[in-house]
Parts: sequence; structure tokens; C-alpha cells
Amino acid sequence: MYVTDEGEELFVIDSHLHLWDASEENVTHEGGEQFIQCFYDYHTGFTPEDKQWSLEEYRKYGADRMAQDLFGNAAVDMGIFQPTYLRDFYADGFNTIEDNAELAERYPERFVLNGRFDPRDGEEGMRELERQKEEYDIQGVKLYTAEWNGDSKGWRLDSEEAFEFLDKCAELGIENIHPHKGPTIRPLNRDAFDVADVDDAATSFPELNFVVEHVGLPRLDDFCWIAAQEPNVYGGLAVAAPLAVHRPRKFGEIMGELLFWLGEDRLLFGSDYALWNPDWLVETFMDAELTDEQKDEYGVEFGVDTKRKILGENAAELYDIDIEAKKEEFRSDTLTQEFGLADHYAGGTSATPADD
Amino acid sequence: MSSDRSRAEGPADGDDASAEAPGETTPAAVRERLDRVTDPELDTSIVELDYVEEIRITAAADGDGDAVFVAFTLPTAWCSPAFAWMMAGDARDEVASLPTVADVDVELREHMHEREINRGINEGLPFGEAFPDADGDVAPVRAELDRKARIARQHDATGALLDAGLTGDQIAALTPEDVRFDETTDGTVPVWVRDGAVAVAVAVDPLVRYREKAAATGLLDDDHDELFRTPEGDPIDPDDFEVVRQRTRLAGVNMGGQGTVCDALNDARHAEDRPPLSTFSD
Repeated sequence: MYVTDEGEELFVIDSHLHLWDASEENVTHEGGEQFIQCFYDYHTGFTPEDKQWSLEEYRKYGADRMAQDLFGNAAVDMGIFQPTYLRDFYADGFNTIEDNAELAERYPERFVLNGRFDPRDGEEGMRELERQKEEYDIQGVKLYTAEWNGDSKGWRLDSEEAFEFLDKCAELGIENIHPHKGPTIRPLNRDAFDVADVDDAATSFPELNFVVEHVGLPRLDDFCWIAAQEPNVYGGLAVAAPLAVHRPRKFGEIMGELLFWLGEDRLLFGSDYALWNPDWLVETFMDAELTDEQKDEYGVEFGVDTKRKILGENAAELYDIDIEAKKEEFRSDTLTQEFGLADHYAGGTSATPADD
Repeated sequence: MSSDRSRAEGPADGDDASAEAPGETTPAAVRERLDRVTDPELDTSIVELDYVEEIRITAAADGDGDAVFVAFTLPTAWCSPAFAWMMAGDARDEVASLPTVADVDVELREHMHEREINRGINEGLPFGEAFPDADGDVAPVRAELDRKARIARQHDATGALLDAGLTGDQIAALTPEDVRFDETTDGTVPVWVRDGAVAVAVAVDPLVRYREKAAATGLLDDDHDELFRTPEGDPIDPDDFEVVRQRTRLAGVNMGGQGTVCDALNDARHAEDRPPLSTFSD
């Protein structure tokens, strides 16, 4: 939990986590090597210098280190895994549900494990989705519309095939759909992460929630306009949040737009670990403010109450997490014992900051 | 936060660079042409963005005119191939338009598709031929980016008009003829309102920039007379002026946000202590 100087507690659900393997042994395509190199540039480009990892650590860090980074310093209370397969680039996949389960099964009370589907996998993909539901009781899926698959370099969320899978999600009770809509990479001639396909899908499946990851950056404008009209469209802040480090003013503008168009109930914090470590990122997010000029322009609040929603409450709502019950549980769960966090959860809402 | 990395700027052996005699190509002239090339996603000059790494000028092989070599690197190897293609092609066309230039050789460096792009651009191939895997041309992507640039520029232009005292209703009703570019003086242009009864002086630069993209996106020669439009290209209902203005603001914030990301990647990529990245080999 994050505790403010005034002693207010903010329960942190990091909604965008990966346990990936980009070790050289796992890379089978030049694209896989360039992918991790590009991630590493994101990492060093936005991480304070004294918090940067080496490229070797970054390629494959493993479950123990991840547990330490998320919980060891108590920055994160719970996390949501978002798999990214990229099997055309990595022999065993980059970040599969099985990889993530390694940690989620060790601390089941701390993690939400999301699955994935690819409509191009047809019947087999449908069976795989059912397996993920059965085996891991997934409540959400991460979708990578620009992922390569054989001859195909991408797919659309509003295609007939995708709708069949969304139907299946609705039937299985997989309610949270997380399309990755980030920087344009592939396929070749098109905008692989165009957000327009979210519009039709969200209208057609009002019972599902669409959490657009990376708030569509660099398609923030299209994303906000769609989200303003579709109440079941949410924004995941992974990648946007680190802007607060070096470009607080730009971050303020982006937050201003998001709060203006979507409001404070439809935004989810995510570190995108291991792109960035949540400890300094949560801290930076908490310290971030809008300038007076931005407050005037957007007419929105970005105070503790708004931040509490974005850091945890909104994700809790989508994933049916009872924060108070979790706090109670975390006073003595395995992880708390392992990392000596009992004091951290001892307080309760009436706690006052320690005066020693 | 432009980094302090040094950028080589040709020609490598100096002699030709100092030659300013008429009829010869200078690095400054080449640079001025490249300054007209924009990163289409950011609507900002590739020179301003610090992408251009090298300019080299030599005599053309057939001895008639100059040969210009231009090398540039984008913020990430993963930058969209379509965007990279547009920048490389625009750079070639702009430099080739200098009357003293006979040959242009453009080199995109450290990009995942540098081979296809460099070959395609320098051999004058269409995109589909350079990328047999692609399922179309880059024209629709360019049109979409032009549309976004138009919207962001509209925000600056309508901002200038509001600053000059025009109302939303008046701005929504303006036609291209109401802005008298031929009467520009001291950085302002007269804009006629109230059925031509009054002219207001407005900062000209944002209007010129807007007009350029409005023309590129076909708004100045379609069936409507209105100068400004909704993001979809329709005339603005005066009741919606405010929400259209908010949407145009958003387009600019989006570009600025992405520019920030690109800038950080560019700096990370060129940082002195960046570890050597392994090269994939089968």
C-alpha cells in the first residue's frame, strides 16, 4: 500500500505485469531481438538513472526477483498478469500464461492471471481459451492485434472471427478484454494498433469491459473520443505513467485529457513490469500534479481521491476484488510472512502515521 | 532535452562544404530541404527532431551536378515501416528538387526494415514491391496522418482567432476567402467577419500552417465553403464549436505525448553508456 504523509492508505493493484523470457536462447527471429531492445530503450529512456537494470537482467529476471520487486518494498498489493505470446519471435513464447502462472500459483491471493486468444487460431484457439478458463479461471484476456501468426501480420477486434471469440468470452464469464493499443510497429503498411476496431466491439458487447492498454498512445485522440461515447471502455495507463518522471507537464496534459473525456472511474494504473519498476513509478504518480493552467483548461481533479481510484479501486471493481477483505487477508498471508510485511497491513483506515 | 551527442555532418572531407558558389550544392541548402520533411506522426521536421545524421555532397558520377548522400536514424528500430518509408521518400524528393543535385542516395540506419526501405527508395520502387508481404500501399496511412495533423493545426489556428476576439460562431462560419493572405503584414493577416463589415488582424503563422494541411486533406476543394471542420471533415454546427475545439486540442496533446515518447527513445538509443545490443543471428 502507498501511505501518504497524512496517513491515508492507497491499495495498489498493478494492472499490467509480465514475467517474460527474452534470453538469447529463446529468441528465434530478428523481430524478437529487436522487440526486447526496443523495450530496453523504453526502460532506460524513462527510468531514473539509479534505478536502471542491465540489459542482461532485463532479458530474463525470473519469479523470485519479480516477487521482490513488486512486494519486497511494499509498493504493490496485488497484480494482474497480461500475457504476450509472440511465438513467431520466441521459441517458448515471450510471456505466456504458463510463465505467469509460475508466480501466480505461488501467491494466488496476490495475482490475477489473464489469458489470451487469437481469432486466427480458429477451433483450436477456442479450445485453448476454454482450457485457460478451466485451468486458471481467467477473468480477462490480453489481446495483441498486431501479433504475427503465419502469413498474417495482424487482426481486428471488430472482425467476424474476433466476435466469435468475444461471444465465447461473454459465455465463459471472461469479462475484461485488454487490447494492446500502443506504438505503431507492424504490420508493414498499416497502422497495426488503430483503436477504431474497439468502438464496434464495445458497442456490440456491452456486457464486456474493454481496457485499452497504453491508452492508445499514440492514438490518444481516437481513444478518448471512442471512450467518451462507450461506457464500457477503459484506459490502462501502462507507458503513459512513466512520462511523469521526465515530462511532468506533458503527463499532466495527458492525465487532463483522460480525466476530461473518461473521468476518474475508468482509468487503471499499470507499471508494465518489467518495462518499469512499480516502486518509483507509484511514488512518481502520487507526486504528480496538474499545473494551475491545466486545472483551468480541463476542469478536473487529480488529487488523492482520484489517484486512489486509478491505483487500485477501479481495477478492483472490474475484477471483483474486495479491498478491505484483502487487506485483512494480507496481514498474514504467505507473501507477507516471506517479506515481513505484517506491520504494513496492521494499520487499517484509522491508522495514523508512525511518529517515531 | 535534446541530448549532447555529437552528430556528424558532412561532407566528411570538408572541401566541398565551404564552397558557396552559385550552382553548387551546400549542406545548408540540403538541410533546408530536409527541414520540409516531417515525421508524419508528429507533424514535426526531421531536422528539428534530430533524426538526420549525415549529409555528404560529392560530384555526381557523370560529372553533371552533385550527388547528395543523406543518412538518418529514427528513435527506434521498431518505428513503423510505413512512416519510415514516407520520411525516406520525402527526403529523397526534397533533396532531388534542388536544381544543382543530380543524384540522391538516402540511407535509413538501424531500422528493422532498413534493407527493404533503402533499396526501395533508392531504386524508386513502389512500397508494395519493396515489401512483397505488405497488403497494400502507404497512401491510406499518410492520409490518416495528414488528417490528424490538420486537426492539431486547426486547434492552433482557431486559438489564434479566439485570441484576436472572434467568437465560435464567427469562426465556424469563416470561408477561405475571408482570410486575406495576400494582405499579410507584420505577421498578421486580416480576417473579415460580420459579412465583410469588419477585418480583424490575426497571427498569420498558425493560419498558414492550417491552410497547408487543410489543402492536403482536400478540405479546400470539396463541396463545403467552411474553412474549419469537425475532425470528420464536416462543417461545424456553432452549438458544437466548443466540443470540436476540445477534440482538436486532444489531437495536439496526442502528438505531443507521442513526441515525448519518441524523444526519450531517441535519447536512450544514442546514450553514450548504452550497452552494445546483441545482433540476432540464426
